[in-house]
Amino acid sequence: MRSHEYQFRLVELRQVLGLPLVVVVGLVFVMHLADFTGLLPDPRPLLDMDRTILFHQASAARTPQKADLLLLGDSSCLMDVSAPALGRLADRSALNLGTLSYVDLAADAALLRAYAAANPGRLRTVVLLLHPTTLRLGQQSGYHSELVWRFLSRADLPGAGFESWLGLDLLRSRLLARLLPVPLPGLYGATYGFTWDLWRQLDAHSGTLTDPGRYDPLAPMGSAEFRLAGGWEGACAVLRAAVPSGVTLAVGVTPCPASFVRPETAQSCRTLLTTLGQWLRADVVLTNLPLMLPDQEFASLTHLNAQGTPQFTSTLAGLLKQK
Amino acid sequence: MLFNSDVFLRFFAAFLLLYYLARGSLRLRNLLLVAASYLFYGWWDYRFLALLLASTVLDFSVGLGLQATQELPLRRAWLGLSLAGNLGMLGFFKYYGFFAESFATLLGHFGLRPSLLTLHVVLPVGISFYTFQTLSYAIDVFRRKIPATRDFLRFATYVSFFPQLVAGPIERGGHLLPQFSQTRTIARTMVIEGLWLMIWGMFKKVVVADNLAPLVEMVYHAPPNSSPMVILATIAFGLQIYGDFSGYSDIARGIARVLGFELMLNFNLPYLATNPRDFWRRWHISLSTWLRDYLYISLGGNRLGRTRTALNLWLTMLLGGLWHGAAWNYVLWGCWHGGGLVAHRAWSGDRNNAEGRWKPLAWAGTVLFVSYGWLLFRAGSLERILALTSALAHWNAPPYIYSYLLSLTVFSAPLLLMQWWQSRSGDLLIPLRLPPLVLGLVEGLLIWSILIFWRKDSTPFIYFQF
Repeated sequence: MRSHEYQFRLVELRQVLGLPLVVVVGLVFVMHLADFTGLLPDPRPLLDMDRTILFHQASAARTPQKADLLLLGDSSCLMDVSAPALGRLADRSALNLGTLSYVDLAADAALLRAYAAANPGRLRTVVLLLHPTTLRLGQQSGYHSELVWRFLSRADLPGAGFESWLGLDLLRSRLLARLLPVPLPGLYGATYGFTWDLWRQLDAHSGTLTDPGRYDPLAPMGSAEFRLAGGWEGACAVLRAAVPSGVTLAVGVTPCPASFVRPETAQSCRTLLTTLGQWLRADVVLTNLPLMLPDQEFASLTHLNAQGTPQFTSTLAGLLKQK
Repeated sequence: MLFNSDVFLRFFAAFLLLYYLARGSLRLRNLLLVAASYLFYGWWDYRFLALLLASTVLDFSVGLGLQATQELPLRRAWLGLSLAGNLGMLGFFKYYGFFAESFATLLGHFGLRPSLLTLHVVLPVGISFYTFQTLSYAIDVFRRKIPATRDFLRFATYVSFFPQLVAGPIERGGHLLPQFSQTRTIARTMVIEGLWLMIWGMFKKVVVADNLAPLVEMVYHAPPNSSPMVILATIAFGLQIYGDFSGYSDIARGIARVLGFELMLNFNLPYLATNPRDFWRRWHISLSTWLRDYLYISLGGNRLGRTRTALNLWLTMLLGGLWHGAAWNYVLWGCWHGGGLVAHRAWSGDRNNAEGRWKPLAWAGTVLFVSYGWLLFRAGSLERILALTSALAHWNAPPYIYSYLLSLTVFSAPLLLMQWWQSRSGDLLIPLRLPPLVLGLVEGLLIWSILIFWRKDSTPFIYFQF
């Protein structure tokens, strides 16, 4: 007995399947043509939290600003220091260009250069703030650093094979992200909502963000370890070279939860900071910044919460005023 | 294997070629279908195949046993074996942990600390669907509605048919089984319809449901004290679960149709229902008719007076809720719908739908009723149900509500527009009445949208967890 019979010839499928495929191919062609002829708007890849933060900081860096005090560093810099409050307390105008721990110092240097180029002669102080965890791991993601470079030069995101060929990357980062906000995950979503809202938040707070989490002292294993991973010396030289002459470079580490730090390790943190200062040829090494703060002032192992940020910002402002 | 994954697309392309080559022999086709279905199912975890095979062997044997005897006690024993085997399997894998923990919690209230053996049993994908499908076969043979099949391969194909294996429609032996004994004719219109169902189903899953999911999660993960947010998130979930589940059903029906088979309609514009009974005639039709035919009627249906009818209705829905998952929120959801059906029956008697000027009001009331049911369904725990319900009293909104509204509108609009068009025309396949060029354009745009939102890490269908 026969299984099944086709009551049409295979060529008849051409119309059924062919037409939708022609439409898809046509759309692919239109996307690439629009890109080639410059009809598409610039990339604005607010596609997730990381890319929104990186793109915001890159955009802020290449825009004329009032700030003469620039904060650079990892996500602890982004979250632990309120730039508007720092500006008020230190009688300066501050901008936070803190990014993420996976962004290397070369990308920070690029942000700094872009800022100096967009705001010639304005900059007086650059503060580099990193968390001990970042300094210990030191394994930055090439991908995230590349994003910073690309965003600074208004280039598209790195392409991804077939999707790139289909023009989907172009469509997502140049059109879709302009038309549709993307919801943020977890607590960030519940607090900030969408990528567009995150952008507005960063804008309104001069590049600073607050971690909405709550630190659980039982969660992390082990204790803080203060040591510098390989590769920092060379990276420091790259950043130093980007600091315009006459601009003060200060360096410090952001705090850890008290329960995570053994008291006897405090000295090794100061040694680490001194070494980092030497490699950076820093004008100011912020050794008086608190190494640890009470657990309840933290949102996570590496970020202060809304309660801890003002205290740390105030201490930093005091130290900067003294120098 | 998920429909919305690269691996499935490759699998299906290869399968279609083999299926074409196997057209000369019915037995070869069924063998190919079983092999492909076992590969499809075993892709999750090959160990689950043993359960699928066990369920198949059990009900095939029960069918033969029922066919071989006319003695009622013996027939009852055979049916009992099927019930015990299928429900035992379902009970162990799906409900053991839930009941053991609930029992321990209950005893804990009396100061007792029982040492129960609590196992973290992995739930095999789709177990609720195929056990119900094989059970329906055994019951239908017992009721002499259908003859038992003597062809094991045919029965194995019926149980494991991959398009509907893991999330339905739950097919009856009387409808699907004979299709595996016949030469199937695949006309051009079937291919056109099948292709449309696959594209539209995939669009509903990948573009609508998967983009509404984070909107729902944003609110249900940490309920804010904001009535507008809870309302919007609940609307989003109602549309997400509809897009997700009806999307799966459409893809399943589309694949089956391209292969020459007919699967039953599982969704018929459910959000246009004007009362709870109407809703259950349109939502997950294969489950609601299963519960009606094999549970409600077995409990006595409406033959034993008004009170007993109400109890039967309520009990059927409670068990229907529990079928969805081993958690108290599903029990509550079942009770909520059972209560709604009982109340509607008491109010309207045997009248079906509201007419005239009451219709919009009846529709709005049904939407509200169903939506609160979704809140119970999605909340995940009694604490969260309380938090979400109490948040309904706080009429304030976070600043990002505009972004939320924009996203919700954009991703739900295609689904709602299609519903409106289908309802207005009275034809679920109305897009196929478009001129071929326009249809090709629409399908091309849908495929393009699917590609834009296609994820490498495919999001599973919601109903896979049941």
